[in-house]
Amino acid sequence: MKMRRSFFGLTVSLAIVLGLSLSAYAGEALRVGITSTIDNLDPAKMKAGDAYVYAFRVFNGLIYINWDMTVKPDLAERWEISDDFKTWTFYLRKGVKFHHGRELDAEDVEVTVKRILDKATGCKLRANFQIIEKIEVVDKYTIRFKLNIPYAGFAELFGGRQAMIVPRDRIDTLATKPIGTGPFKFKSSMPGDRMELVKNQDYFVEGAPLLDGVTLIIIPEPAARVTALESGEIDLLWRVPEEGIEHLKKNPDIVVDEVPTPGWVGVVMHNKIPPFDNVKVRQAINLAIDRDQMVELAVFGHGAPTHSPIPPSHPFFNKSLSLKPDLAKAKKLLAEAGYPNGFEVTMFVAHDRPNEERTGITTREMLKPLGIKVNIQRAPWDKFLSDIEGKEAFYTDAFSARPTIDTSLYPWYHSSGSWNKSLWHYSNPEVDRLLDLARQTKSFEERQKIYREFQNVVFQDPPSLMAFVHNHTNAWRKWVKGPHAHPMMWIDLRGCMMSK
Amino acid sequence: MLFYVLKRIIYICCILVVMSMLVFAITQILPGNVARMILGQFATEESIRAIEEKLRLNDPLVVQYWRWASSLLSGDLGESLIMEHPIAPLLSTALKRSAILAFMSFFFVTVVGIGLGVVAALKQNRPTDHAVSIFTYLGISVPEFFWGIVVIIFLARYIDWLPSSGYEPLSAGFWNWLSHLILPVATLTFALIAHVSRLTRSCMLETLRSPYVTAARAKGLPERVVLVRHALRNALLPTITILAVDLGWLFGGVVVVETVFAFPGLGRLLMFSIERHDLPLMQVSLLLITAVYSLSNLVADLLYTYFNPKIRYERSAD
Repeated sequence: MKMRRSFFGLTVSLAIVLGLSLSAYAGEALRVGITSTIDNLDPAKMKAGDAYVYAFRVFNGLIYINWDMTVKPDLAERWEISDDFKTWTFYLRKGVKFHHGRELDAEDVEVTVKRILDKATGCKLRANFQIIEKIEVVDKYTIRFKLNIPYAGFAELFGGRQAMIVPRDRIDTLATKPIGTGPFKFKSSMPGDRMELVKNQDYFVEGAPLLDGVTLIIIPEPAARVTALESGEIDLLWRVPEEGIEHLKKNPDIVVDEVPTPGWVGVVMHNKIPPFDNVKVRQAINLAIDRDQMVELAVFGHGAPTHSPIPPSHPFFNKSLSLKPDLAKAKKLLAEAGYPNGFEVTMFVAHDRPNEERTGITTREMLKPLGIKVNIQRAPWDKFLSDIEGKEAFYTDAFSARPTIDTSLYPWYHSSGSWNKSLWHYSNPEVDRLLDLARQTKSFEERQKIYREFQNVVFQDPPSLMAFVHNHTNAWRKWVKGPHAHPMMWIDLRGCMMSK
Repeated sequence: MLFYVLKRIIYICCILVVMSMLVFAITQILPGNVARMILGQFATEESIRAIEEKLRLNDPLVVQYWRWASSLLSGDLGESLIMEHPIAPLLSTALKRSAILAFMSFFFVTVVGIGLGVVAALKQNRPTDHAVSIFTYLGISVPEFFWGIVVIIFLARYIDWLPSSGYEPLSAGFWNWLSHLILPVATLTFALIAHVSRLTRSCMLETLRSPYVTAARAKGLPERVVLVRHALRNALLPTITILAVDLGWLFGGVVVVETVFAFPGLGRLLMFSIERHDLPLMQVSLLLITAVYSLSNLVADLLYTYFNPKIRYERSAD
């Protein structure tokens, strides 16, 4: 029974090894848990939130949108705006070095913007940047943009994301060896496993960063991600899965930080396909939804009911509009629209998007009292993108936060908006007028008034169902000091350090 | 014998050629669109066309296949569309890690599976036998992602013995490396052990009843020699076939376990390519998995001859 003896020996040695402690980690790199492999290291080609966790470490934008949503200088130390909001001049910080040693200049900014505007790059900011008519490099540290429309929020478009400034002489290797100006340098990346970033000694902010490095560790399974934080295998968990939040809050060694975002979840209705071409049907559906309950059911309470992507926490939010359901009125509207007994409709839901799946199921249940019978059909994500989104009449969808109220609303509500034209084909002249007016208005109070009026109009004439905005939650071990959750889901690590 | 091996290798090549066509054809008819996946939700028809042109996706399929197959033959695996990164280094790192996981699990499936099978056969219909069959059935009948999460929760969260997920290279320390392997290996072993132990048990019972075992015992040979040299050796033949299939599965089919434990191997890379519609990466990964399957079956057939001298792969025996 030789076999049995050797098996016994193995068990004993395993048991001995198990008894040893696990504290094999050294060094002061912050280990951050993220959900999936970052598709493309080239910032212009980033799409999902995970990529921003990497990109804000390695690159900088011309400006930075702070976690309180105020605009701060970053690579541009100041900027000037002409009175008609059509000419914008940015003055770059001097002496900023890229990780390969060359100094940043205005030509790098020019090349970055031209790349975004190039169709073949496939950058998702292209639509936003198409208002640029002319780019002019004034001198080594000055760049001027002429716009074809007055646009008060132009600087915010440079708040990082895909508009991170890249070195013009390293464009070809951005996807394999990314080079930026940021506080950390790219060291290595293993898809499916991790990415290692090390401190940039020459970072242009004196004394920063405080960490020696950042390691992004990819953990796809939500339960494993929460466990990794609890057992200390990671120091910080970006985007805690909703079902794990309450559990982590009970752990005395862990800090949970939750912020509301302008990212919304809802149900898209195609405004040109019956029965959704009738505004009364869209109104009835909006009135049948109990938004408070939906937040509980779809995101376990980690969100806030709303009518538009403007979150209730925002100063522009219109508090006078009721968020309560009104079934009697909904039934009446549906009868007026010619559907006294409701109708049957197929709703598409993308796979593996739990918040949207739960939103879909909740909507189905809440529409039952109106006699609307919803048949849910699930579709894989790639099929969803190619065959459903923008083509079908009725489906759940979600959009992450955009940096300004204008970029959160204009593409979805304006009749010329890119998302409007691909999702619901909505058109309301008053909405168009208000959105255009807000773009040219500088005073905060004026804009607040305009956007509140906008919410009034879309409350009466909703393009679809925007049920709630969701929160964004991060959690970290107590030994991590100073990270800041960001409403845009970019984790802010500027003041972050570790004291184990 | 040499002739047989050569012939089998030629077969494998043919299989790979046919597979390459199949894989290529299937990936073309999958729902979804490469350009749209690259561009994401923001794609406009215009930019989709620009990307399709850049990647030459509008050429006839035969031309595209030929371009792909000929560069594969010249050793160029191509570039991942989504990551814009050469495929060869991605694949070789992932393959190495999957191989560690596969061989370790394979080792335990073999040793523990055969061991349990023999014990169960010797203690037929006694409590030990029932215990073994209940234990192995639990492993095979409940899916491995369930056991994966159970062991994560108990051994990593509550008892905090082992890391819940990830992979550390050997250069990060032996224990560090090993500790990341224990949970996925245990989960995989548990999922596969029933095949091996059940089969070993029934073959063992059958051989133990055969006349030559009675003869060996009658000769007065020690029971240990009878069991190991006479019975087990013959009882193992069908088990080897099953093990070969398991080895192939361990290489290509561990997507679930790799995902649960965030293990950066071949399965995860394949999942990444499927989710992102990264065709070149998907095609090459699938071909590689086919090759591993075919090769492990060849090895199994060769092991057969070692264990059973009656089978000889000669020209006459074909």
